[in-house]
Amino acid sequence: MRRFTYIAPTSREDAFSAFAAAGEGARWVAGGTNIYDLMKLDIERPAHLIDVTAIEGLDAIETGGEMLRFGTNARMADVAANETILRDYPVLSESLWKAASQQLRNMATVGANLLQRTRCLYFRNGAGGASGGAVIYPCNRREPGSGCAAIGGIDRGQAVLGASANCTAVSPGDWPVALTAMDAQVELAGPQGARAIPIAELYRLPGETPQIEFTLGDGEMITGISVPKTRAGRRSTYHKVRDRESYAFALASAAVALDMDGDTIRKAHVALGGVATVPWRSPEAEAVLAGKPLTEGLAEKAARAAFAEAKAGKLNGYKIDLGIRTLVDALSIAAERNS
Amino acid sequence: MAHAMLVPARIAKGRVTSVDTGAASAVPGVLRVLTAKDYPAPPETDENGPPPPPPTILDAIAYRGQPIALVVAETIEAAIEGAEAVTARYAEEAFASKIDSKGAVREETEPREAGDGTRALADAATRIDQRYVTPTQHHNPIELIATSARLTDGKLRIHESSQYSSGVRGAVARSLGYDPATIEADSSYIGGGFGQKGSLYGYSAIVAHAARLIRRPVKLVVPRSQIFHQATFRPEAHHHVQLGADTGGKMVAAVYHAEHEQSRAGQFPPSDYHEATSRLYDIPNYQGTAANIRLDRNDPGYMRCPHPHPSCFAFESAVDELAIELGRDPVEFRLANDGMTDVLTGKPYSSKFMAECLREGARRFGWDRRTAEPGSMRSPSGGSIGWGVAVAAYPSMMVPSIGTLRVYANGRTTYSISGHEMGQGIRTSIANVLVQGLGIDPDKLEISVGNTATAPQHITAGSWGSAGAIPTTAQAVSRMQSALKQLLGGRTPRGDIHRRLASTKRPYLEVQASALGPGQDASALESLRQGGYAVAGPEYPAFTTMSYIAHFVEVEVEPRLRRVRMPRVVSVADCGRVISPRTARSQIIGGVVWAFGSALREGTEIDPRYAGYLNCDLADYVVPVNADIGEIEVDLINEPDPLANSMGLKGLGEVVMAGASAAIANAIHHATGKRIRHMPIRIEDML
Repeated sequence: MRRFTYIAPTSREDAFSAFAAAGEGARWVAGGTNIYDLMKLDIERPAHLIDVTAIEGLDAIETGGEMLRFGTNARMADVAANETILRDYPVLSESLWKAASQQLRNMATVGANLLQRTRCLYFRNGAGGASGGAVIYPCNRREPGSGCAAIGGIDRGQAVLGASANCTAVSPGDWPVALTAMDAQVELAGPQGARAIPIAELYRLPGETPQIEFTLGDGEMITGISVPKTRAGRRSTYHKVRDRESYAFALASAAVALDMDGDTIRKAHVALGGVATVPWRSPEAEAVLAGKPLTEGLAEKAARAAFAEAKAGKLNGYKIDLGIRTLVDALSIAAERNS
Repeated sequence: MAHAMLVPARIAKGRVTSVDTGAASAVPGVLRVLTAKDYPAPPETDENGPPPPPPTILDAIAYRGQPIALVVAETIEAAIEGAEAVTARYAEEAFASKIDSKGAVREETEPREAGDGTRALADAATRIDQRYVTPTQHHNPIELIATSARLTDGKLRIHESSQYSSGVRGAVARSLGYDPATIEADSSYIGGGFGQKGSLYGYSAIVAHAARLIRRPVKLVVPRSQIFHQATFRPEAHHHVQLGADTGGKMVAAVYHAEHEQSRAGQFPPSDYHEATSRLYDIPNYQGTAANIRLDRNDPGYMRCPHPHPSCFAFESAVDELAIELGRDPVEFRLANDGMTDVLTGKPYSSKFMAECLREGARRFGWDRRTAEPGSMRSPSGGSIGWGVAVAAYPSMMVPSIGTLRVYANGRTTYSISGHEMGQGIRTSIANVLVQGLGIDPDKLEISVGNTATAPQHITAGSWGSAGAIPTTAQAVSRMQSALKQLLGGRTPRGDIHRRLASTKRPYLEVQASALGPGQDASALESLRQGGYAVAGPEYPAFTTMSYIAHFVEVEVEPRLRRVRMPRVVSVADCGRVISPRTARSQIIGGVVWAFGSALREGTEIDPRYAGYLNCDLADYVVPVNADIGEIEVDLINEPDPLANSMGLKGLGEVVMAGASAAIANAIHHATGKRIRHMPIRIEDML
C-alpha cells in the first residue's frame, strides 16, 4: 500500500489536464474493481489516480444507430441487462453476466474492463504486497527481465495459445473475447486527439515484452466501444467453462456468432478466452465453417483448427481438449438459437 | 487503538541475519517496528508442564511467511505501508516442501490394530489394493483471524478470534512472563472457527507485547494471504487402503496406511486417520499404520472433520470398489458388514444407528430405482447420472464445563459457561435448554461463552461443544428449579419464574452447575480451571461412542464438457438426541457443502521451488458458490445415546462432512465408470 492522490474531474478537458499535471505515476481509474485490488497486491503503484467515471456523457448505451455503441463508463450490469443486447446479441450479454459477481458488475465499466490485467498466480501473488503471499516470484510482466515462474511451475491456468518464452499469462476477460468475435472498435482519446482502432489492435502478444500489454499511448483513455450490427448476433453465445458455476475466470471459453443461410453458415465469428494470452480470434475455425452446413463433425474440425498451434506446459494440456469441446458446444448452442 | 501488521519471512528455511526497519519507521504514522530482539526469549519448558507456547518473533526461520517483524501504526494503511517497507537479509538453507521433496523425513507413528490384518488380507478371497490422495486445504472462514490487546487497571485484556480463549491466555502468559490471573481473553464472537481458530498462534503474544511497549491498545487483523502461510491447515495425505473379503462377501481384513504432510515439530497426529475407519464395519482384522512426512512448512492442524474426512474419502471409495468387485449393491454390502463392537478396544458402542441412517437415507433417496451398471442412468438432457453412497463416523467426545446461571426478579436471565460460539450455534442450543426448562423470555436472556472472565474455558473443537455445554446447562436448569422451590418453602405463587422469585424479595437467584465426561473425575474440572486439555472419549471406560452418517449423492455429468453437477443429496445422521433441530440441520447442510467443495473444488497449491502457497486468496482458492449446490435433504435419527452423557447427545458438527466426498466420487464412478482416487476432482480429471 502506497500513498496516492485521487481526483474525479467532470469533463474530458479537466481529466486530460489533470493527467498531464500529475506527471509520473498518473493512472486512470473507473470502477476500480481491478486496479484497487492490484494496488493492495503492490503490483500497480500509481501516485495519482484520476477517476473517469464522473466525466459527463461517457456512459451511454446506444442501440438505435448503424452500430451498437457503449460509452466507456456504461456499467457491465447495465449493458448485460439491456433488452436489445439480451435479445439480439446474447454473446455480448452472456460475456458480461458470466463475469465476476453482480456487485462487481454494478461497479465495473465496459471500457475499463478491456484493460483488466491477468490472473496469473505468479503475477498476482509475487509482488510483495501485504495481501499477496510470502513469495517474491520472478515475473517478466511485473519486473521485466526477472524471468517467468509460471513456466515450469504450477501452470494449470496458463495459456496454450499466444504464449512466448517470456510469459504464458492468460488474458482474463470475457467481454473482450465477445467483442473480438464481433469485430468491435475501441474509441480512444488522448492529449493528441481521438482515434478508433479494431479491438484486436488494443492487445499485444507477450513476445519479448510481456510488460507492454496494450497499445494505448501515454495519457490515452478508452472513451467508448462500437460494434457493427449483424444478424449473426441473434445466433450467438458466450460459452464459459470454469472451476465453479459462477464467480470465476474462464478455464476455456468461446464466443460464437453465426450468420446462417438455412443450414449453411454464411459467416462465422469465433473467438476464444481463457486459453490465450490475448482475446483470441480464430480465423482458422471461421474458415473451416464458412459456406458449409453445421454438423458435429464440422464443428469438431473447426475447433481442432482453432487449437492447431496450441502448446501445452506441464499441467495445462487439458485446456486444448477442453477448449475444443467448449467451442464445439458453443457452435451447437449458437446454431440452435432463432435468428 | 493502534493497528499492526506482520512482516512475513521471504525464505522457507534459514536465519534472519538483519532486518532494516529504517524505511518502515520513516513512514508517517508508524509508531514502532518490533523485531526478534524486542521479544523475550522463548520460555523454558519442562516435560510435565504445559506444552511450549507458539514462538513470537524469532530469527530462526522454519517456514515461509513466519513473522520477522511487527509494524505498529496509527492507521491500518500506515501499518501496511510500513510492513511492506521492512527489508531483511537472510542466510537461506535448503528446504523440503512436498511429500516427495528431497529432505522430507518419514516418521512412523503408533499403529492402531485389531486381530492380524496382514494375514487375514493374505487369506481373503477378494481383495482391493488402492492408493488415494487428499489435498492440502485451508479453512478460509470469511472472518479473518485477529487479535487485539489492551492494558488497563493492571490487567491485559485480549480480544481474539479463538476457539480456545484460555489457551490464548496461557500462551501469552508464558511467552511474556505474565501471571495468567492478570490476563482476560475474550472470544465471545469469532466468526467461523472450523479448527483453524482452535490453534494457538504466536501473534497473540506478539501483539500483546506491542501493546505493553507502546502503552496503547493494539489490533491485528491477519490478511488472508498471510493466514495461508501462518495458520494451521489440512495437510495433504496419502492413503494406501487394502481390503479383503471372505468367500461369503464379509469384510475380514483392512490394512490401511496413511501418511501426511507435517512440519518439523508439528503434533497433528496421523494415527487418527484410523479413528473412524476402524469403527464403521465389523472388520475383525484391522491394521492401521501411519506416518508423518516432516517438511519445512508451517504446522498443519485441525480443519473441520480433520481425520475422518480424508480417511473416509479413501476408505469408503475402497469399500465401494470392493462392493463392485463382489457384485454387491453398495448399500446392502455396507449393511451386511455392520457391527456393534469397537474392534480396537473390544468394547461395545454406547449407541450406533449407522444401519438406520443407511436404510432411511436409501428410502428417502429412492435408492431401489438405481441400476447397478456404470453409465446406465441418463438425464433428459443426455447427461450421465450417477448415484453414490458412503457412510462415515466421528468420535463423540466430552469435555468438562462449568456454568453459572442467574435468574433476576426483574425478568432478566444471565448465563455464563465454558464453550465457544464459532458459527455452530452453541448459544442457540444453550438457549433452547434454558428457555424450555425455565420458561424464560429469550429476548431477556444473556449468554456469555468464550470469555475467560466469566467462566473457565476449554478449547471448543472436535464436535464436543454441545456435549460440553448442554448437560451442564440442563443441570443448571434443574438446580435453579430446586433452589427456587426451596426458597419458596412450599408456597406456589403465580406467574413466571421471575415473578415467583420477586415474591421472595430477592433481586436474583444464582446456581452453579458442572458436568464431566464418563470416566472423568474432579481432576478434569481442575484441568478446565487451569485452561488445560481435558477431553474424554471416544474410548470411555466401558464403551466407545461415535456419531454416524450416511450420504446419498446424485451427480450429473455433462456429455461433452464433462462438468460434474450435484443436483441432489440425502444425508441422515445419528448424533444421539437432537438438542437444537434447526442448528443441527444447518450443520448437516454446511457439512455437505464443504464436502462438495473438498471433492470438487478446493486445493491449496504449493510450488515446491519456493515452498509458498500460491493460490492464497478467495478468488484462486476455489470454494463452492450457491450456484454449485443442489437440493440437500437432511434427516436425524434422534435416538438418545443411553450412556454418553445425561442428555443422550453425541457430536454432530464434523461427522456431517465425513464420507460425503466419497459418496460424490462413488456417484461419479457410477455415472461414468471412471474411478478417481484423489481430491479435488477437477474438469481435467473428467475429460
